[in-house]
Amino acid sequence: MQLGFLVDLHLCMGCKGCEIACKVENEVPLSTWRLRVKYVDVGTFPETKRTFTPLRCNHCENAPCERICPVSALHYLDNGIVNIDKERCIGCAGCVMACPYGAIYIDPQTQTADKCTYCAHRIASSMMPACVVACPVEANIFGDLDDAKSNISKYIQSNQSNVQVRKPEKGTNPHHYYVGGGNVSLNPLASHRVDGDSLFGKITTLPVGGHH
Amino acid sequence: MAAHEILAATNAVVTLDVAIPGIVWPWLVTVNMWAKSIGTGVIFMLFMLQRTHPNSVSNLRLPIAITAFVFINIFLLFTLADLHQPFRMWHIFFHPHWTSAITVGSFMASAFLGLLTLLVFLAWKKNDETYDKVLLWTAILAIPVTLYTAALMAQCTARELWQMPTESAQMILAATLSGSATMILLGGNKLSYEAKKSLGVVLGLSALMAFIIYMSEYVFGPMKAEEVAAVMEYIKGDGPYTVMFWLGQWMTYILPMLLILLSRSSKSESILKLAAILALVGLAIVKHVWLIIPQLLPMS
Repeated sequence: MQLGFLVDLHLCMGCKGCEIACKVENEVPLSTWRLRVKYVDVGTFPETKRTFTPLRCNHCENAPCERICPVSALHYLDNGIVNIDKERCIGCAGCVMACPYGAIYIDPQTQTADKCTYCAHRIASSMMPACVVACPVEANIFGDLDDAKSNISKYIQSNQSNVQVRKPEKGTNPHHYYVGGGNVSLNPLASHRVDGDSLFGKITTLPVGGHH
Repeated sequence: MAAHEILAATNAVVTLDVAIPGIVWPWLVTVNMWAKSIGTGVIFMLFMLQRTHPNSVSNLRLPIAITAFVFINIFLLFTLADLHQPFRMWHIFFHPHWTSAITVGSFMASAFLGLLTLLVFLAWKKNDETYDKVLLWTAILAIPVTLYTAALMAQCTARELWQMPTESAQMILAATLSGSATMILLGGNKLSYEAKKSLGVVLGLSALMAFIIYMSEYVFGPMKAEEVAAVMEYIKGDGPYTVMFWLGQWMTYILPMLLILLSRSSKSESILKLAAILALVGLAIVKHVWLIIPQLLPMS
């Protein structure tokens, strides 16, 4: 079994339902995120459009975070999930530095690394990840990549020419795919970013946690 | 298509997202690298002088062993302080994951500290023969100990600026530069002028080679990778680290090189010491800038 995620960006409407469901399900502390939806506005008025991109851990086959972790706190599960053992983590933040997708953070409450686990605890109980359940348009497609009859495998088959991963040049082999993505939505360097400001007001940056 | 060309073509702007994470590896890691360079560097220099100026170093066995011991302990202390869960440090030794440069480095640094402790003991007992034998193995182990941080930085897949060939060269050069500078300052009357001149040559050449590598990356790095180009913007023009970057380059490399040439022509030990002080202080600045700037880039 090789679990994977696919997000159809044609369907995503940026409601952030997945983001909230993840926060609630995993009790993600303030100022940190396992899953987030990024808005990027493209073009010049009146020819403009807005893209929405849900971003989470890619559960890479060749995960830099797993490789750099000195105590195997980050480890592969048999179903392909890159899981984290917070009791073992020493908080060196090597994984935060190694992840090319900015998907790992230091939990300010436990002082350990944390990230999306594809809701491994729910999967163990045969439930779908919280973000999948919450999505009103079924833009999140989750399943077994090794099973040709699974929804995700069928989706990939039917959208072969339009399936992308983030930063393929890093050689991480992500198990997280996007349909309908473009350079602007998948490449963080392809858009201007004025940190501290957002659509709805100023962003308050809380400390990363610990001694900083 | 380079990032700036995409930006011009699409006029894309992030309008809603979480804040970019702050600096994850802060100044504590800078001190870690700086102290490790000195701790391993003085061992390299003692080993070199033992072969080139054996009479000069007979009185330096104990002071150098103590200096290396102190700076390696500073390195380990700051490594520990940088952990968010420092009391779980023992997990590295009981749950080691050998693909990680942190694990390999921890074991090597611990063994290195053991050898330094032995050197201090042997110097205190004035057992020079055994000391010199142990020094050989300590100098050999100092090479991977000083290099492993480069391997760690290279394992940070996200940070294109930290390439393994250049970082490993910079780590060794930082050790020879800071080791020679420390020896010049510690030598006092115990080191002959000729020995200090040799250390000055090591200091000057280390500065020259490190400076060439930094300038090569500064000029040519952006032509190879868009992430490097984006990171370099932080030290070019009005970038937030431009002043600190050039201050470090002048203090660590350019001025010491000039001062060493001046000290050789004027046979002035004072100028040599000034070069050593500038190099030691500047090295911390150079290391800090190179550590911080890749962390400013948004990863997603």
